[in-house]
Amino acid sequence: MSHIGRPRRRAAAVLVVFGLLVTACSGSAATSTPADSAAPAASEAPASAAPTTSGEAAEIEWYVGLGTGENEEQIPAEEAVVAAFNEANPNIHLTLTVVDNTEAADTLATRIAAGDSPDIIGPIGIRGLQSFGDQLLDIGPFIESSGVDLSGIDQALIDVYNVNGKQIGIPMAVYSSFFYYNKSLFDEAELAYPPHEVGAQYEGKEWNWATVRDLAMKLTVDDNGNDATSADFDPSKIVQYGLDAQFTEHDARAWGTIFGGSGSAVADDGKTAQWPDNWRTGLQYMYDGITKDHFIPNETAVQALADGNTFQSGRIAMDVVHQWYTCCVYPGEGDPAVTDWDIAVLPVGPDGKVTSKLHADTIGIMDSTENPEAAFTALTYLAASPELIQTWGAMPAVAGQRDAFFTGLQERFAPLDIDWNVSSLMLQYPDNPSHEAFMPNFQEADSANKDLGSKIWNETDLDLPAAIDAHVQTLQGIFDTGG
Amino acid sequence: MTTLETTAGQVGVTPPPKSSRWNLSQREALTGLLYISPFLIGFVLFSALPMLASLVLSLTNFDPREPDEITFIGLDNYSRLLSDPLVGHALMVTIRFALISVPLTLGIALGVSILVNSPKLRGRNVFRTLFYMPMQIPLVATTLVWIGVLHATTGWLNIGLGAVGVDGPNWLQSVTWVGPALALMGIWAIGNYMLIFIAGLQGVPNELYDAAKVDGAGVLATFRHVTLPQLSPVIFYNLIIALIASFQYFTQAFVVSNGRGDPSNATLFYNLYLYRQGFPFFNMGYASALAWVLVAIVLALTVVLFRTSGRWVFEGGQR
Repeated sequence: MSHIGRPRRRAAAVLVVFGLLVTACSGSAATSTPADSAAPAASEAPASAAPTTSGEAAEIEWYVGLGTGENEEQIPAEEAVVAAFNEANPNIHLTLTVVDNTEAADTLATRIAAGDSPDIIGPIGIRGLQSFGDQLLDIGPFIESSGVDLSGIDQALIDVYNVNGKQIGIPMAVYSSFFYYNKSLFDEAELAYPPHEVGAQYEGKEWNWATVRDLAMKLTVDDNGNDATSADFDPSKIVQYGLDAQFTEHDARAWGTIFGGSGSAVADDGKTAQWPDNWRTGLQYMYDGITKDHFIPNETAVQALADGNTFQSGRIAMDVVHQWYTCCVYPGEGDPAVTDWDIAVLPVGPDGKVTSKLHADTIGIMDSTENPEAAFTALTYLAASPELIQTWGAMPAVAGQRDAFFTGLQERFAPLDIDWNVSSLMLQYPDNPSHEAFMPNFQEADSANKDLGSKIWNETDLDLPAAIDAHVQTLQGIFDTGG
Repeated sequence: MTTLETTAGQVGVTPPPKSSRWNLSQREALTGLLYISPFLIGFVLFSALPMLASLVLSLTNFDPREPDEITFIGLDNYSRLLSDPLVGHALMVTIRFALISVPLTLGIALGVSILVNSPKLRGRNVFRTLFYMPMQIPLVATTLVWIGVLHATTGWLNIGLGAVGVDGPNWLQSVTWVGPALALMGIWAIGNYMLIFIAGLQGVPNELYDAAKVDGAGVLATFRHVTLPQLSPVIFYNLIIALIASFQYFTQAFVVSNGRGDPSNATLFYNLYLYRQGFPFFNMGYASALAWVLVAIVLALTVVLFRTSGRWVFEGGQR
């Protein structure tokens, strides 16, 4: 292997980018991708930031699409914040570029290759950072020199964005996970609601996954009205399920964390693949729940339940989802629909701990920016804009802003009286390490984890321990390829 | 030859043009080149150069996120390809699909073209239009419609099967059935093949049919001994096009599996795997190597078909 000299590398990169661009411009019916037909960016800003010269406003481009923020109804609020910033900062001209989420990562990568990076990217989650974290600027020195006050944010959340000693973002939004439960289904089965406090028991039993299993089986019902504990229960005619963990994109790491607790697919040396025992236990619990005990829907059943928005279908009793799911649950809408629901704490896992899988969003500055100070000024303004948090439906990372956030939710879901305290409570039990944490050759390894999840979801005769062993070998190969 | 009338009323021959640096054939060549220059420029810019770029890329570890880190790695991407189990898997998925879809698509297209070419059929043009119409609908839209049709519980197909007492499979989430489901979707788009077959059928001389009739040949014998041999060049053409399309199969698999090859990699076609390496995984060098191997495979298959075509393709009445 030999390194190409810098001028040649440049030339090669230019050739490559040229090739990519012309390929992107050309079309072929036989090989066209959905990106060809995707809607154009809703809002396009000038492509590159102009260098700062005296008397001219520094051009800063904010690139949205890698996470939330690209929906049509969110863009006006983002544009309003940008306009307000420009009015307040005549020396900086902030522009907004919104790209469809499905193509945002590819577009950004191509722009980086073409030397046309935006200045600010985000909101972006922990998983997204694994793709572009290396291209982000260390804003730690800017935070220190500017005296930005981060005291309102839990240090553990700030540390989520400290990668290899680089502070690559300020947490803006956090999303704990917990049970959404359908009160109507519990009432119908005359069962007590799940607990709202960590450590509380359920009907005299410890609130653990075994208790959840027993409860979920009683709440799983076939079309004759038999529940899954009955000898007459017909698993081929299930009309209502006791438990789901929707919108996890069949990520085996996520499922391992939900049902098994925190863990990592990478050993401490950072290059050896592994699958922790608690994740094995958790995945076995889930697989048995799908194939043996039938209280968790498989992929086919999930597709039949409100096209994957299972809790909304009104046919899921308990569903492990994040705070952001308030985006997509509409009491009483649709047929069938969930009409009366609340939230409950997660149980103790096989590792003896309560674990709430955490999602978080931030915005960061590309290290290629020509105007880092101006970009940091814009970033701090955006991070301190509650309108953005609100339009993204996000739970503020700043603890002091949460009361207003939950008041808004309470008004939105009235007359339901939802115990939002559960959400704040679950924030104290984040998965550490994150289920979206670094793995060598991240994108490919992440995809392999989803391949394992696909098998768990779809295959009825899977030897799961053997499949996990094979998966660890696959991961090792991917890690090794990633160098 | 043009004539001129002179001022004296005499008729004379047009004088030869002034001598030029280029002779007639050169000028004709230049004119021809000018006419096809839009294609040539487009081909060089949008096909040849990108192909050249991808060939160069295949010898590097190019990651578009880190263009400055590009490194020449020789044939490493090609050797990685040999040890990557998903390459073999993706190739097998593609070949299995081709073995189902190519004969199915061509057979049905041929059958339909014979039907809509029949002089006994009223409203032939209407039927031809109807069969061709799906080709005008964007592939993604068509696929989304088919996802609805093939839905396990709410899809028309399974509802129809249920009406006759058959429990339809879970077409798109079943490792077993997703391949046939995609082949079934392919039948929707037989329009191009059908048109070419119709053109071929209309080129079969009527004298041959008359002669067959005189010889007492029935419908099947006529089809076997007249139509098929006469149509064989067209079948050969469609076969090559269908085979190449099978190896380039992408859009439907992408839409059906959310770009992942689900369930359990059952729809991980070679082209989809190539795309995943190049874009979601940012392994552009490796993806380029995969692309060039695909070119080699398709080229080899095409050469094999051409080599064997002498045994069954009739050209000008001869094999």
